[in-house]
Amino acid sequence: MSNEIIEGILEGLRLIFTFDSEVWGVIEVSFRVSLTSTFLAALVALPIGSFIGLRTFKGKKEVTNLINTFMGFPPVVMGLVVYLLLSRTGPFGALGLLYSTSAMIIAQFLLAVPIIMGTAKAAIESVDPILKETVLSLGANERQLWWELIKHSKKSIIAGFLVAFGQAISEVGAVMIVGGNIRWETRTFTTSIVLQTRMGEFGMAIALGVILITIAFIVNYGLTRLQTRVD
Amino acid sequence: MGSLDYKQGLIKMKLLEVRNLSKVFYKRDKSETEVLSNVNFLVEQGECFVIIGPNGSGKTTLLRIIGLLEAPTLGQIFYNKKDLIKISRKQKVEFRRKFSFVRQKPVVRNTTVFNNIAYGPKVRGLKYDEYQERVNEIIDFIGLKGMEKKNARSLSGGEMQRVAIAMNFVVNPEIYLLDEVSANLDSMNIKLLDDFIMKIKQDKDKTIIMSTHDPLEAIKYADRIAVLKNGQITQVGTPSEIFSSPKDEFTAMFVGYENILHGIAEIDKNTGLNQIRINDIIITASSQLEGKVKVCIRPESIGIVKEPPKNTSYRNTFKGHIENIHDLGNICHLIVRCGSEKFLVTITELSKHNLNLKIGSEVFINFKATDVKIL
Repeated sequence: MSNEIIEGILEGLRLIFTFDSEVWGVIEVSFRVSLTSTFLAALVALPIGSFIGLRTFKGKKEVTNLINTFMGFPPVVMGLVVYLLLSRTGPFGALGLLYSTSAMIIAQFLLAVPIIMGTAKAAIESVDPILKETVLSLGANERQLWWELIKHSKKSIIAGFLVAFGQAISEVGAVMIVGGNIRWETRTFTTSIVLQTRMGEFGMAIALGVILITIAFIVNYGLTRLQTRVD
Repeated sequence: MGSLDYKQGLIKMKLLEVRNLSKVFYKRDKSETEVLSNVNFLVEQGECFVIIGPNGSGKTTLLRIIGLLEAPTLGQIFYNKKDLIKISRKQKVEFRRKFSFVRQKPVVRNTTVFNNIAYGPKVRGLKYDEYQERVNEIIDFIGLKGMEKKNARSLSGGEMQRVAIAMNFVVNPEIYLLDEVSANLDSMNIKLLDDFIMKIKQDKDKTIIMSTHDPLEAIKYADRIAVLKNGQITQVGTPSEIFSSPKDEFTAMFVGYENILHGIAEIDKNTGLNQIRINDIIITASSQLEGKVKVCIRPESIGIVKEPPKNTSYRNTFKGHIENIHDLGNICHLIVRCGSEKFLVTITELSKHNLNLKIGSEVFINFKATDVKIL
């Protein structure tokens, strides 16, 4: 067994440094899907989340509870939901999106939206209320106040993006269900690792694992840098 | 023209009216704290209206409500007869732009001094060319020239407060709301703040509503004073009214009694002392101010004798007669008229008895030049 591990590691390193086309194909799919889903989620969730944080309204508590619940939504269940929606007999079956990267983007998008929304809302709410009042009393309208608060809490907001991206790229359940793990098409780091491990192809699994951990490290490094940076 | 007439007391323009204002804060455990309770007052255009009260009396909340930064629980605020509580979010922005709000602890945006001061003009839609000259002028005025590009958050507390005041001054508001702005400032910054307030006061169209817990500051700036105690206004009046006849014990205790006179000061070249002409009397003081001033003398600093004092070190002696006597237990208040002016004098019941003082008695009052505060 220990022999297998050493062999696997060596094989993994060989695959990385020889730029194995399948490994790089998997990387390409993973990044394309996760970056797109995070970007689209940010586009939708940042305005909505920050707006919820800005205003006080009736039912805000309930909305907050809902967002928080969805922030911890089990990815595999999200996979199931998106599968049911996109399957041939489902309401969006006619679009023929199942087992495509689009389906994976949709699933990851739905997982990322509450994360970015929740962090943006919390970031806006945590701005010193005196700063809010100062900006208002200087004559800012709501849009100007909103922009000021976004600028002020950009660190936390970017941290939210990074968390959402990190979660998207390391997620396995949802992309497996809706993407189908099709070689060269919808196979990602995670689904590939699952498959190769099952097949005993540890070299490929380890190579991908190393890259995934490296990405996780870079994301975390970025997060820490953000949180400790002094302006 | 109208404002000039107003200053002469002919026309009074009601600018802001606070009516039946109450504010209740609800805590998590459903307990209530009534911070303001049925507050009513009028502010006229061009006046400096000072709200004086101890910490926790509700001054800041009151100013925040007037500045449309917080909604009252009950009551109305009228600005030129328009009810500001009922207006839309968009209209509130419009009205906030007529106000400015400087608070005790300044907060500046995380950007340069210039950008902080330019923020008000910018959100009002002005272009860089339209505001940069005025912004630089004000930076010069607050003594921060050369620091335009410095991050405002890296400044000292006093400098930050100056930036905060400049941020509000640059937009030329109708009403200045100043919330204990002089607290925590050193003497140099107080001087600068004073220049600012005096500059605003010179502009007869501008109205100031300020809060303070410092009676001398209130006397110095106020055209009228409102005393706030536990969220209730206990008295509104001119400084002389408040400090010579406080309505209740709290006001008397908190603001203290003070003789407040208005005069013109000049420096006597021979003695180097201040001579303040107040109608037909001249008071000598040790300050170095000139021009229009307010003169304050505490009633307990004034001595009273029946014969003209000889060889006294007291620089101020005036002949007068007792107009009125208020007995307050073992002390009493005498109202002594000397020429055009009335003085409130505090003495013990025993002294009154020994000197055989009665209404109409002819007396001499005297006080030291160093006991005269010039504001």
